[in-house]
Amino acid sequence: MPFVSSRRILVIALGGAALLSALPQSFQTPWSGTLAGVLWAPLVPGASALSWARDRVRAPAEPYQGLPEELRAAREDRDQLQGELDAAQLRVGQLERELGELSGYRPADRAGWQPRLATVIERGAGRPAGLLGIDVGTAQGIGEADPVVVGGNQIIGMIAAGGAENRSWVIPLDDRRCGRIDAIVRPEAADGASDASGGTAAGGKKADKADKARNGTRTTVLVQLVPQGNRTLVGELESPANVKPGDSVLLSDAAWRTAAQGMRIGVVESEGALDANPLRRRITVRMESDPQRQSRVVVKVRVSGQGQGTRGTGAAK
Amino acid sequence: MRWWVFIPVLALVLTMDAAFMPAFAIGGHVPQLWPLLLAFVALYASRGAALWAAMIVGVWLDAMHPALGVGAEAPRAVTVFGPHVLACAAGAWCVLETRTWLYRRNVLTVAFSAFNCALLASLAFIAIAGIRVAYADPSPLWGGGSGGAALGSDLVDALYSAVIAILPAWGLQSTLTVWGFATAGPRFAGGNRMNRGND
Repeated sequence: MPFVSSRRILVIALGGAALLSALPQSFQTPWSGTLAGVLWAPLVPGASALSWARDRVRAPAEPYQGLPEELRAAREDRDQLQGELDAAQLRVGQLERELGELSGYRPADRAGWQPRLATVIERGAGRPAGLLGIDVGTAQGIGEADPVVVGGNQIIGMIAAGGAENRSWVIPLDDRRCGRIDAIVRPEAADGASDASGGTAAGGKKADKADKARNGTRTTVLVQLVPQGNRTLVGELESPANVKPGDSVLLSDAAWRTAAQGMRIGVVESEGALDANPLRRRITVRMESDPQRQSRVVVKVRVSGQGQGTRGTGAAK
Repeated sequence: MRWWVFIPVLALVLTMDAAFMPAFAIGGHVPQLWPLLLAFVALYASRGAALWAAMIVGVWLDAMHPALGVGAEAPRAVTVFGPHVLACAAGAWCVLETRTWLYRRNVLTVAFSAFNCALLASLAFIAIAGIRVAYADPSPLWGGGSGGAALGSDLVDALYSAVIAILPAWGLQSTLTVWGFATAGPRFAGGNRMNRGND
């Protein structure tokens, strides 16, 4: 090729690259996404095939791996229902507070959601690290800030803005660029009370009493988490807060979509005194699912004009 | 260099980096193959061809790794062209400068050059991203954490990539004649280079 031997064209090209590198993002936003889509398009078939090969070489870390299919499906259904219950309880609590104040009652957000199954086709390599590329985009209704979950109720990230028609980027929850996340720590049942809830009416009453007793002794604790990477997030608490390793941590952040509220972030891995401030304690939360080892995820796509409870019954794809 | 060979191989390599190489991740460190391909080309191709190849690799890498900017509800994925282009040019330049005192036909040399290429590309990328974050980007292009931590992580990635590269480097070396490099003749001399017009 003649241009290769032209030193002048090479210098001009390098200068152009340097200029582009120096310009703010807004100068490239109008066209760079389209060009990136064009460059990525020829790689898509190969990437899909190699993703399949990758999952054969190293099995993805799916929840409840190794269990029989029926049991696994049943547990995922249970987790999904648990997630919906948690979200509903959070919403009820919020409404009760609002009604109690009698001043700023707002109608509930009636926007529902639908699940969209997506395959992770790109992840991990290069800089910036950590973003996951999935094979659904705006054509499938994916929008920015839609939550991404696995295993029914385990949230692993959110959709970044600027996706293409058939491709989106997921920001993992443990990525610092996800920002601070408000969450609640829900104490685990110490006496197995939750196990009793599925029994007879008498068992149900017993469970109610146990729940009340439990709520009386250990209440939920609000905490603001800072992603640290490597599946961990850290937060600080007031010293009297009764938080123990193994407690569940649920997302409860007004900045996130309604469909993300109550989704499970992970469990408290450790808690201890904060050297810099003896009145506060520091907790480390470990995500139960590794975002970098997922092959399939579910995006909770917002559907306007539907009730929260009218979402689809299964994955849309 | 035969560009019709380079472009499909580059597409294959980048596809593998994106979709397959995470299978070999250890502790969050993922080996990559593009430094190997770039180092291989920079070891044998003419200076101009190697730098052009580096720029093509960089454009494609920029397209594959969007940065995160400010969005209305969620951070916006924005493709920023340029940083990887310069970073890859720096990596290729490093190999071009060192190739004169290396025994190129050895597979370990190619792996060593891949390490050099990846490391210098990372250094250049983090330097560019560090400058950008001062005035243009809400968060650094390398992701979270400090630049030093990112460089340390990339150092491990480069080392791991070089180790993994030994086998594919052998494969690339065995296809040397297919590439039509200007400096890879069986008895290379300056005169031979002058007579080759396929660069």
